[in-house]
Amino acid sequence: MKTKAVVAPLLGWIVPGLGHFVQKKYLRGIIFFVSISAMTAMGLAMGGKIYPFYIEKPETIFQVFTNLLKKENPLTLLAFFADLGNLLVYLASRVLHFGQGALERMTFEFGTAYIAGASLLNYLVALDAHDIAVGKKK
Amino acid sequence: MIFESHLLSMVVYAFFTALVLAFIRRRESKARLRYGLFVFLIMVGGALLFGWFMYLFTL
Repeated sequence: MKTKAVVAPLLGWIVPGLGHFVQKKYLRGIIFFVSISAMTAMGLAMGGKIYPFYIEKPETIFQVFTNLLKKENPLTLLAFFADLGNLLVYLASRVLHFGQGALERMTFEFGTAYIAGASLLNYLVALDAHDIAVGKKK
Repeated sequence: MIFESHLLSMVVYAFFTALVLAFIRRRESKARLRYGLFVFLIMVGGALLFGWFMYLFTL
């Protein structure tokens, strides 16, 4: 497998559009970067939440699995995997403590949907960068 | 506070999603425009229809 086929989607995963940019698909790279970053920024401005990976500390091996269901809402695990799609923003939110979510704001739900939607789109963008690298797409 | 209107939030969300999907799925400009418009209209129209459908449960 070509190195580009691994590097391009990885770069695209870290920064939206970067996987296209390094393959000289400048227009697409810029459009992906602007769109996904704008959605994420608007989501954060609306008080949306970036969900961390969090489960209660297990005391037995069995609890590793049961704790996945015990959290106040097990669906937050799915939100975590969605938010992970925009890796740089996810890591920055953990280090700089933003994206904590402002539940009291009426735009909280929409903001969270914006952030998760942008991150899920970034998975598709990274896969597109891979397809271009292996020659499946132009 | 931005986007207190849920409708506006939904329209902007649909716009960006349609834009990204059009550039992923289609390669020619015309095809992109058509596909992007299609996705945008399906998202906005579908949400409005579903919204009115849910309104029936409040009657």
